[in-house]
Amino acid sequence: MNRPRPGNALLEAQGVTRRFGGLTAVRDVHLTLQEGEVLGLIGPNGAGKTTLFNLLSGQLHPDSGRVRMLGREIQRLPPHRTCRLGLARTFQVPRPFLAMTVFESVLVGAQFGRRVVGTSPRETARECLALSHLDSRRDVPVHSLNLAERKRLDLARALATRPRVLLVDEVAAGLNPSEVGETVGILREVHASGIGIVYVEHVMEAVMDISDRVQVLDQGATIAVGTPQEVTRNPAVVEAYLGRAATRDG
Amino acid sequence: MSLPSSRRLLFGAGAVVAVAAAAPLLIANPYASRLAQLLFLNIVLASAWNLVGGFAGQISFGNSSLFGVGAYATSMLWLAGIHPFLTMPVAALLAAIFGVAWGWPCLRLRGPYFAIATIGVAEATRIVANHVEAAGGASGLTLPLEQDLGPVLLYALGGVLAFTAVLLSAAVRRSRLGLGLIALREDARAAAASGVDVSRQQVTVFALAAALTGLGGAYYALFTLYVVPEKVFGFDLSISLVLMVLVGGIGTVIGPVLGAAIYLFLEQFVLASLADIHLAAFGALLIFIVLLEPRGVAPRLAQLIGLIRRRRG
Repeated sequence: MNRPRPGNALLEAQGVTRRFGGLTAVRDVHLTLQEGEVLGLIGPNGAGKTTLFNLLSGQLHPDSGRVRMLGREIQRLPPHRTCRLGLARTFQVPRPFLAMTVFESVLVGAQFGRRVVGTSPRETARECLALSHLDSRRDVPVHSLNLAERKRLDLARALATRPRVLLVDEVAAGLNPSEVGETVGILREVHASGIGIVYVEHVMEAVMDISDRVQVLDQGATIAVGTPQEVTRNPAVVEAYLGRAATRDG
Repeated sequence: MSLPSSRRLLFGAGAVVAVAAAAPLLIANPYASRLAQLLFLNIVLASAWNLVGGFAGQISFGNSSLFGVGAYATSMLWLAGIHPFLTMPVAALLAAIFGVAWGWPCLRLRGPYFAIATIGVAEATRIVANHVEAAGGASGLTLPLEQDLGPVLLYALGGVLAFTAVLLSAAVRRSRLGLGLIALREDARAAAASGVDVSRQQVTVFALAAALTGLGGAYYALFTLYVVPEKVFGFDLSISLVLMVLVGGIGTVIGPVLGAAIYLFLEQFVLASLADIHLAAFGALLIFIVLLEPRGVAPRLAQLIGLIRRRRG
């Protein structure tokens, strides 16, 4: 049904633009995620990363341009439809279902996400909790989780929808180094299971560590795409982050 | 209250036996009989309100519009010569259709915006009902007294309706629908991102609640034998449902049942002596609950049961 046609990327944005009043938050952005790839998405504050995320996942619709998943246009679909096609996301600030237990929260994703023949939602929820290192917390009410756990819960809930593509929004922000390491380890396992990942992150160690390619946004437009090494050496990127003086001196 | 399923079953069976055992006592006395009917009615209406208000978190002040449709449907069909029992499915269906017709657009709003929209719909419905001459206009409809179903049948019917409402409520709570509703109540955006079709889930549960409320209206018509717009489409009715659920425990299965009983008790025995200021008294009660016990009686009761069990064990 949604069999990938040859030449079709897992996820592809073509010339996506979105304006808010006079501000163009995302301008003519192209993005390609291949099967089994981790694409890092970085840029200074206000570069348009989160807006681009919302455009990819259906929270926002672009003014122009297309978003395709496995060749199918999805830029006009509402979020629950893109989710059921296999596009899941986490939120920059975790959005937990506070009245539920940890297990129930993840079960929501498993019950309502992409249908996969021969899997039971409860089984899927259990697997995702284990993968996110939350199995010991499964019957705990969500409101008693700390920030790191809430971030992993967001991740577990997204994974329970059985995505083909996972959009991860700053999952390492606000965590201590050991928690960052744990989270990156989980993403590595997700990646190993064959899920494509678009990873927005400010914590450079995390995103450079795990990404196959990195795309850099500044003021709504793409300024560089390449391997982590290429991107960090790119003068335009250094300038965007540190200003012009830094490029001249270094 | 989250009891294990065997205990739930025992609890339910006990309630059935109690209702059956109390029947001869209540049916013998016309006043007691009416109290029982009102209690059953309140349980149905409060449980229905809680499906939307408690599980989906959408506070409606407009359930009287659904109640009135059910009451009028049964009354008019009965007057046209159809047996009352046969009118009830029609009443439920019409209330559900009417509910979806206005719930579908209104449920796109959330929180206070939805609440205000429901007031508008209910008041508009009441005003229209006052002017439909075919339905008796402002003076309403009087049903054939000589065809009264009698206290035994009315008691049994009320009991069945009340149990249906509670069972439906419990079934929804434990279902996929219930999980989706609580998810969207807690965070609609996160629910949508997890695959929950927010609009569809809400409209589905609203249709169920509307059908149940319509059945309540039909039952009301059957035991009062008199329907009039100011009563069955009245704002007082909508407010009383909100109060019952808040008193009992919003978002729980047993809360609306407790609230229905507490409300009936207060209405009959305390507020009857305060006839002129009874709305003000209810207002004060509402403020009291929201300030001191926002989760209602049900969680306290669960605590109490837990305490007793621990003392024993």
